[in-house]
Amino acid sequence: MGNLFSRTSNGLVITIHSKGKWNQHWQSHLASNKLMVIDFSSSTCGPCRFIEPEINAMAARYTEIEFVKIDVIELPVVAVMWDVQVVPTFVLVKSGKEVGRVVGADKKELEETIQQQQKQRH
Amino acid sequence: MPLPPLLLSLFPLFPTPPELLYKSTSTFSLLLSRACSSLSFLDPLHTFPSTHIHFAATSFYRMAVSGFEGFEKRLELHFSGNDPLGLRRLRCDALAQVLDAVQCTVVSAVGNRYFDAYILSESSLFVYPQKMVLKTCGTTQLLRSVPCLLRHTADLGLRLRACRFSRGSFIFPRAQPFPHTSFAEEALYLEERLPPSLCLRRACVLPSASSHSWHVYAAADDDEYVAAASPSTFTVEVCMTELDRSLARGFFRRKGDERSGDAAGADMTDLTGIGGISPRALLCGFAFDPCGYSMNGLDRDRYSTIHVTPEDGHSYASFECTGGGEVIEWARRAIGVFRPGEVSVSVCVAEGGDEKQVWSATSAALEPLGLSCRSQAAEGLPGAGIVTYQTFTARGK
Repeated sequence: MGNLFSRTSNGLVITIHSKGKWNQHWQSHLASNKLMVIDFSSSTCGPCRFIEPEINAMAARYTEIEFVKIDVIELPVVAVMWDVQVVPTFVLVKSGKEVGRVVGADKKELEETIQQQQKQRH
Repeated sequence: MPLPPLLLSLFPLFPTPPELLYKSTSTFSLLLSRACSSLSFLDPLHTFPSTHIHFAATSFYRMAVSGFEGFEKRLELHFSGNDPLGLRRLRCDALAQVLDAVQCTVVSAVGNRYFDAYILSESSLFVYPQKMVLKTCGTTQLLRSVPCLLRHTADLGLRLRACRFSRGSFIFPRAQPFPHTSFAEEALYLEERLPPSLCLRRACVLPSASSHSWHVYAAADDDEYVAAASPSTFTVEVCMTELDRSLARGFFRRKGDERSGDAAGADMTDLTGIGGISPRALLCGFAFDPCGYSMNGLDRDRYSTIHVTPEDGHSYASFECTGGGEVIEWARRAIGVFRPGEVSVSVCVAEGGDEKQVWSATSAALEPLGLSCRSQAAEGLPGAGIVTYQTFTARGK
């Protein structure tokens, strides 16, 4: 649990369970220059389970990117804030702004979107 | 269960067999009967002897170059159980096994509060807690999903209550693998694999004024069941061929377009007007390379789906959705997008339906598009309610 607020990703997907923790994490994100991928998902959803291993693998591979998971049933307010209507929805943010979005469990699409964002850094 | 010898000898003569009607008692019995009695033809120039169905089907076997088969096979299964999540609990590996048996893969998928929607390499899959709809085209072996699904759903403590298999007539029937080589084979395959608890069963072929037919096999454990369980009243299935060529071009990827299937698909959804069909729905479109398009729409607990095979010579597009009476209007809009030369519309009315109302509402909706109704038919089916089948052709063709 100790890495909830850390700025260096340990290669794992961080799951946020409360609005309070999300606010804290958001502040931490604003203070950093890292790309963050917010994985909006739900435990009731088959497509979310389908892509979960791929997300875990990507988090391990792209250690300079922060991967955060939010269950839309647990935190519906955050889901509404980000205009999430179906799951999984992946929102890529940098310096507090949305820089990309992938709707649906499309492994190829997500990987390509992440790589595109990475290229733009250099 | 061995087939009676009469039935075996007749099958080679009837590529599209006449109606098979039976009810189980302690032993199953299969009876041959004439084509649906409720069939009526609206074009007075066509007169059809009662042997029409099988002769027309034979003449339809032309020696054409084989292309991608757009016409889908569709399977709808209803389950009951104590778990509110029901089928949505099916694990990834279980679903993967099912799709493997069918020979297709998941391209993309989303879910909302009510159901999960998968875009497959060949059409779509919708998973509700108590209902599953699997629709696949090409040369997929859709029915091979059944034994696999029955095993996995039993593990979840789910009980099959009703099953409905339906399809139109293939453009390239000879390219189809077992058990889709004929409707008789498909019916027999289901006969042998559905649990005996589904004791009400019916197979029928709804004919039209041409060689095309609508084939339906339905089974249920109780006549009253599905009408009560169904969340929406109507399911409409539209099959379109001879698509307007310039419109069909919109479903080809442009040369040098390096974008993802999702991005190009979203573009196609907008540019072709598909986005305007049911405005409340959230649409997930996918553009295949070099051509082809699939879309799943989610509107609360209602799905919609479109699949396009745009190649000239065997162009095809399908539209399907569930809902109340507005489904006819959505169907009209979808047909307007493709401007096809020929259309078939099948409506499944789950509860207390009246086929005459469906026939006239559908004809009235398509008339302004320049489409004339050439035939209409309807049948009652166990666990499904009433299924209608109408065919239309563009005037001046």
